[in-house]
Amino acid sequence: MDERRTGWLLILVLAGQLVFLATRVPGRGGKGTALESAGLRLLGPVARLVALVSESFSGSRESLALRGRLIDENRALRQEVLDLRLRLLRTADLGDEMARLGAAVEYAAPPAGRIRAADVVYVDRSSLLRTLVLYAGPSPVRVNQPVLSPEGLVGRVVVVAGPYAKVQLITDRAAAVGAMLLRNRRQGVVRGSARDPGFGLELDYLPLQADVRAGDRIVTAGIDGIYPRGIPVGTVDSVEPGGQLFHRIHLTPAVDFGTLDQVYLLEHEPVPDTVKEALPGVRRR
Amino acid sequence: MSGAVKLLLGIAAGLLVHLVGAHLFPDFPRLVDVFLIVVALHALSGNSLSGLLVGMAVGLLHDTLTGSRLYGLYGFADTIVGYGTARLAQRLVIQRATGVFVVVGLASVLQQVVLVGLTFLLLPDPGFPLPLWAGAKAVTCGLLGMMIYAAAGSFGRNYESRRRSRMSRLRLE
Repeated sequence: MDERRTGWLLILVLAGQLVFLATRVPGRGGKGTALESAGLRLLGPVARLVALVSESFSGSRESLALRGRLIDENRALRQEVLDLRLRLLRTADLGDEMARLGAAVEYAAPPAGRIRAADVVYVDRSSLLRTLVLYAGPSPVRVNQPVLSPEGLVGRVVVVAGPYAKVQLITDRAAAVGAMLLRNRRQGVVRGSARDPGFGLELDYLPLQADVRAGDRIVTAGIDGIYPRGIPVGTVDSVEPGGQLFHRIHLTPAVDFGTLDQVYLLEHEPVPDTVKEALPGVRRR
Repeated sequence: MSGAVKLLLGIAAGLLVHLVGAHLFPDFPRLVDVFLIVVALHALSGNSLSGLLVGMAVGLLHDTLTGSRLYGLYGFADTIVGYGTARLAQRLVIQRATGVFVVVGLASVLQQVVLVGLTFLLLPDPGFPLPLWAGAKAVTCGLLGMMIYAAAGSFGRNYESRRRSRMSRLRLE
């Protein structure tokens, strides 16, 4: 093919790709394409194989080095388990008391949900978008399912392809999490930081009169219909006067995203779209 | 070895290096884009049609491993990079490996400019990539491209000289 025809083909291909990209620009909470799902199905097993081989090598090396340390740690953990059992007994007492008081005023708390572990097989922190891919096994995973680590909130599932699931991290600029200050329950929205893309977080929509201090802990507020209340999100790093109305608040994430090798999928029932989108005063037939 | 087999082997090796690198060092993909190196080295042959098509295919492969919101960003950028590098290679005579360093480095800069432009054009909340990382990525891509080019050239020369000596021995016998 001569260069002129190739030039025309280039224009055609680029125009086609632009149209494709433009149709795929999602709003907040957008989902992936069928092509992306197919690609994920093909590449997921390769990524998992690499993760398994690498883990088995590093695992055998570490197991030798850590054996002695683990014995000491085991002793300390046994003692801690005993202490925690005692605390659990006291907490169970408090729980019963709460349940009795709740029943007296007919309070119905939303169910907490179960968690299940999933291995991280691929982490992308390179591009402007922050994602990771999980191998969740044969049990079904659904879009918008919250993903946690022992330290706090990691993100939510955005694409599912067989046993693999792609997770949007909360540090992604497009991610939005309804959150609140643990100290005074003041609510705002947590997003990926523009100042430190991919690593930091920002808490938006907190008015200037709100009392926020460095060191305040931020947890999910349970108001976005996706994440349940009370999951740690981060800690206030700095507070600056923003525009005319709101603070500019920078957060340090509760989770160290560079060390994630296993995460937890929360079996939490989200608020149905029909309920979220229902208009006041309109009756459904 | 035919060109298609070489290309497939290059893509498979690139995919493996990317996955292993990203698994061992989380910052690896921020510093090195192995898919771009594969596209740029392939396009150095000067065939613009092949550069275009391979750029698009490898870019889409890269898209599968990244980005949650805009599938096709790398596909678009690598199509331009593949075509642009092939057109550049038609006009240049690259005799030294340092030439490859410059071409692959420029290809990386072009790819990052296209990616940033597209992201700002299409996404509501784009983030700025740090210029230091972008520069470091261009340099590492250029260096790796140069090393692979030099290694492949030396391997090819050794293979050819061995083949010739074997042929001359056969004729003598």
